[in-house]
This record gives sequence, C-alpha cells and structure tokens, in this order.
Amino acid sequence: MSSGKTQEIFSYTSSILKEYPREQRFLLAILQDIQKQYNYLPREALTIIHEYLDIPMSKLYSMATFYKALSLKPKGKYVIKVCDGTACHIRGSSLIIDEIQKLLNISPGDTTEDGLFSLETVNCLGSCALAPVMVVNGKYFGKVTPKMVKKIIDEFGGQNSEDI
Amino acid sequence: MNIVIDGKECRAEHGEYILDVAERNGIHIPALCHSEALPGQGNCRMCIVEIIDNSRRKIVTSCSYPITKEIEVVTCSEKIKKMRKTIMRLISARAPSSDLIKQLSEEYDLPPETKFKIDKEEKCILCGLCVRACGEVGAHAISTVNRGTIKKVSTPFEETPPECIGCGACAYVCPTGAIEIEEHQGKRTIWNKTFELFKCTGCGDYFMTQEQYEYIKNKKGIAIDGLLCDKCRKKSTGEKLKEALCNVVIKGK
Repeated sequence: MSSGKTQEIFSYTSSILKEYPREQRFLLAILQDIQKQYNYLPREALTIIHEYLDIPMSKLYSMATFYKALSLKPKGKYVIKVCDGTACHIRGSSLIIDEIQKLLNISPGDTTEDGLFSLETVNCLGSCALAPVMVVNGKYFGKVTPKMVKKIIDEFGGQNSEDI
Repeated sequence: MNIVIDGKECRAEHGEYILDVAERNGIHIPALCHSEALPGQGNCRMCIVEIIDNSRRKIVTSCSYPITKEIEVVTCSEKIKKMRKTIMRLISARAPSSDLIKQLSEEYDLPPETKFKIDKEEKCILCGLCVRACGEVGAHAISTVNRGTIKKVSTPFEETPPECIGCGACAYVCPTGAIEIEEHQGKRTIWNKTFELFKCTGCGDYFMTQEQYEYIKNKKGIAIDGLLCDKCRKKSTGEKLKEALCNVVIKGK
C-alpha cells in the first residue's frame, strides 16, 4: 500500500477516534464508521485503534471476523447481496447466484479483480414477498429472474468492466 | 445450606458451582472444558446435570450453575446419560483426531460417524479455554476467529503473534491437546514462534522462556527469586521454612 494511502487512513481513523470517548465499549461503532468509509477495515486502521483504545489485537481481529457487517478484505464499489433465505431459496435464489457467478466470475464472499463488484449471500432481507431479492448498494430488486441479472449488473457498469 | 447430589447430602456455600461441590464430595461429573484455575466456562456441555427444585426439573451445566437454594441434583440418570452421549457424539464429530476424544468415544460406545461431514485432522472442540488462559496471563495473543462452521482459535491475521511470550498456558489448559507445542534442545515452538528456554538453576531442566521471564519481571513487576522451576521452588521454600522453624525451636530452648 502506498504511503499516501496509509497517511489518508491514519488521518481519517484519527478523526473518527476523536468523536468517541476513549472507551472500549465504542469499539463496534468505530469499526462500523471505518467500514462505511472504506468498505473494509484497513489493517493500518486496526493498528491505530488497538493503540488508542488499548484493546488487544487478537480481540479486534476476533471481532472483525465475527461480524458479517465488517470485512478485512477490500470490497467492491458495488456490493451485491443476494438473499438466500427460505422464501428466496425456494423461489430460485441459487439460480440468481449462479448467474452472477457466471457473469462476474466470482463466488460469494469475493470481489471482482477490477474492484467494482462484491458478491455476498445473506440469510434474509425481510422482504420475502418480493422473493427472490437482490440488493446492490442499498437498491432493492425484487422477483429477480436469471435473465434480469445481466441488466441489473449492466446498470452499475458491469458490461464496461467486463470489456476492460 | 445443604443440597442433595445423587441422594447424598452435601454442604454447599451460597454461589458455589454444583460441579465443585460434587467433586468435593467424591461425586464425579465428566467435563472437558473445566479447569480449576478458570472455572465457569460452560462450553463443552459435558457436565450437564438435572436439578430438581420443588418438583420443577431442568437441565443445567454444573460447572457454571451457582447454588442459591436447597436443590436436588441428579448427575447420572438414564436421561442425562442419553443427553451426554449425544453431546459426546457431536464433540467427537467435531474433533475426531484428539486422543482423549477417541478414548471417550469408545467409553460412550459411539457408533462410527456417518451423519456429519468430519475433519479427520481436527482436535479442537472450541471450548475457548486457551483464549481465556491467554487473556488471564495478560498476553492476549490468541482469540477465536470467524464464526459458525469455520470458527477456530487463531492469532491475529494468522501471523506469528508478537504478544505471545511462549508460556504455553494455552496448550497446558487445552483438554484435547489441540495446540501444538514442541520442546527440543532448549527451544520451545508454539504458534509458529520459537523461544529460547532458560534452565532451572536447581535441577537443570529447561522450564521457562526468556520472554516469559521478562514479562513476569518487567510487566507484572513480580520479583523473581532465582531461576527455579516449580518443583525446585517448592523444595527451596520448604527448606527455608524448615530452617526457620528449627531456629525458632533452638531459640525457644
């Protein structure tokens, strides 16, 4: 990682830390803020938090790997979440996942090489009436069919990324 | 107060755990994740017992259930045995490679596992005792990582932990021998980190890592009186005490 990027992470993390009292109970909130900014938790940020809050690195790592909302791997610009809950599963969410895997050449949990898309499966989005559901950066798509997947991905620049 | 364990009347203090009272009264309750130094873990579930309180029955883990009133405890009924067997089966499917688990599987007369996908190399039952021991020592070098089926005990970023002092507490408390620790020619290897060992000035055996010595001396601020292993220290303290007592007796005369 370039030193400029490291510097940027350092100053951003420091500014986040300033907003919270120096107490361990604010750890999750701090991690969420950093996740929101970078779409993942940079290791440099974890080191700063470890020193600032005096929390063992092992605990930080344990927490960062425990919560699904936190990620240690950089995520794509667009995070595709496909619901694989009971209702969506019955209505063929696995077909949707297969289609995305075929189009973007990634499996759930991975990110495309160009850093544009990440694929995740979630257990329920609470909108079972729209099953099967997929969400791209907060935008919901209901009653998705494998045919629609390409169109949705293209909407977010998927086709261009494939050409490059 | 008095509680009844398997028909035997036992004296118990308020807040004491059932397991401790039973052990004191010679009643054995099987447990994997129980350690006297780190009580109340309650993760392996092997120590389940049934408690009867005013004809109300419930199953609890005896290692983490504090006694607050006069209850009756059943540790070995058919019902409990059956439940324990199920728990043992799950543990055995989880960690089939551990010698202790293999031995227990035979004792519990478990059939070969066919229902679950098993990892034949696995020894860890994820009781978390090692993580707790490491925390109590104060090193905090290891923790549980991930969750669900891929949960495991590991070090941050799967790297050699700079915090590890090589004390071996994690391997010592591990009930299933899942943590690899090797000692060879004055060197100890644990968590992919190799430590130089100090020799005991009494018996000449290797017993403590350099990092451990410095940690106790500098971070904990405990004065170390000579480099003696546990056995030799006990011996030397005993001798000093004997000497002191003799002096008192002689002076008394």
